[in-house]
Amino acid sequence: MIDVRNLYKNFGDVKVLKAVSVSIEKGEKVAIIGPSGSGKSTLLRCMNLLEEPTYGEVWINDKLITPVDPYLHPEIIQSSRTFKKMFETRANALNEGGMSEEKLSAQIVAEIKKDDLLRRFEGAEYRKKIRELHAAYSENVDKVRRGIGMVFQHFNLFNNKTVIENLMLAPTLLKLESKEEAREHAMRMLRRIGLEDKADVYPSTLSGGQKQRIAIVRALCMNPEYMLFDEPTSALDPEMVGEVLQLMKELADDGMTMVIVTHEMGFAREVATRVLFMDDGKIAEDGTPEEVFGAPKNARLKEFLSKVLP
Amino acid sequence: MPADTERNVFEMLLNDANQFGMALLVTLMIAAVAIVIGLLIGVVCAAVRIAPKTNIFVRVLDKIVELYITVIRGTPTLLQLLIIANIVLITIYSSNANIFVPMFAFGVNSGAYMAEIFRSGFNSVDRGQLEAGRSLGLSWFATTRTIIIPQAVKTVVPTIFNEIIILVKETSVVSYLSILMPWGEGNSVMQVYDLLGIADKRGQATGEWMAYLITAALIYLVVVLLLTLVQKIIERRFSISDRR
Repeated sequence: MIDVRNLYKNFGDVKVLKAVSVSIEKGEKVAIIGPSGSGKSTLLRCMNLLEEPTYGEVWINDKLITPVDPYLHPEIIQSSRTFKKMFETRANALNEGGMSEEKLSAQIVAEIKKDDLLRRFEGAEYRKKIRELHAAYSENVDKVRRGIGMVFQHFNLFNNKTVIENLMLAPTLLKLESKEEAREHAMRMLRRIGLEDKADVYPSTLSGGQKQRIAIVRALCMNPEYMLFDEPTSALDPEMVGEVLQLMKELADDGMTMVIVTHEMGFAREVATRVLFMDDGKIAEDGTPEEVFGAPKNARLKEFLSKVLP
Repeated sequence: MPADTERNVFEMLLNDANQFGMALLVTLMIAAVAIVIGLLIGVVCAAVRIAPKTNIFVRVLDKIVELYITVIRGTPTLLQLLIIANIVLITIYSSNANIFVPMFAFGVNSGAYMAEIFRSGFNSVDRGQLEAGRSLGLSWFATTRTIIIPQAVKTVVPTIFNEIIILVKETSVVSYLSILMPWGEGNSVMQVYDLLGIADKRGQATGEWMAYLITAALIYLVVVLLLTLVQKIIERRFSISDRR
């Protein structure tokens, strides 16, 4: 499961993601749609930490890959110096107002969360709590990324490697497969997409559609559990879009868990099991393709669909 | 000018061929060692500058490297040479160390420029290459080593050769050392006779200064042409993955 919790991402003063939470179960095919600048790609890139969130946590298969976000853990907030000070100054509310301790705590926690009151140094107990949580749940991000394939808008094939080297590099370097196994695996993948004759050429000789299909099988050579697609057809000539979408459709039919940022509404409607509409850094609508395309509730979604659908 | 005088000039030059040869060797040795020092310093400094600033140690190193580059690039080479020569002179002076002073000084000087060349080479590689490597589960180091550096090297070769060529010629600055540092045990303190130095010395002694200078110039030119040839060969070898 990919679990995104209360994610914020700021680029300088620009708030790209604002409190985004979403869980993606195994087997789901999630299409993320929305106007440009709405944070779709940033959200996707946060899922494998290519982008580091400003606040919030990302959990992959119950392993934490971001730093601990204290705001998501009331018990950590309660161990902070700021909390203790606030609690002390308001302790008289307990006596005079007859307020219960739990209620006051909850109130202060909510206030700290709301106004972002935690500071860099919040005392030893606070630090220890964070360290404990981190030690218990965090996993090295490089290890987690092995299980999450990513396909980029601009393909990003390794320019200094031939096609087959592109496919073999990660599995051999990480010692997951021997050279022979990796070569055989890579050739099998190339045969699947009908490009085995391109094994020994450099990426610069390929068409955009070929590059993208090879980028997809390069990710598949790691036998990932999840695949993230960042506008995989946006940089392609129109006549090459079909071959890439076809391969992605096959992948979906094989049961791969996929998250796809896309402008291909037809594809999203046909292949996705769930559609997220993002607007202004938030998930504005989340539902099945029938719900999102057939009966949109959000006004911005209606406006967006009227522009992109024929 | 009478014909026999002209013949005399060539004879004089031929007679000094040995001295020119030795001087060329001095120039090449200074340049070669300085290039090696420069490349080493450059690689290390560039590595510090591009490394992710994840801990305080890297950040402090980065500031030191930045200061080094700023100082070296902000002051004249001759001045740096004089300062280093002076330090050597007051600390561990021995006349045998003469040639090591310019080697070291030019190496330290060149290192700053090479660091910047390597850094810009690294930055010239599309960010997507690093992201693709990282997304496959490769570490920053593994991706940098297998993907980024091989591509950066390719773009860096012409600029590095440019720096090497400048360095080879700039070594001629050592000729000024004895002029600007005439004190000490006679005039020979820190005297290093490189190509320009010998041309100047013999030219003045024979009264054919211009002919000697032009000879030195031609020798520099040949050296640089040879370096350019090496550069072309290396560039051709690196261009395989560009072929369409």
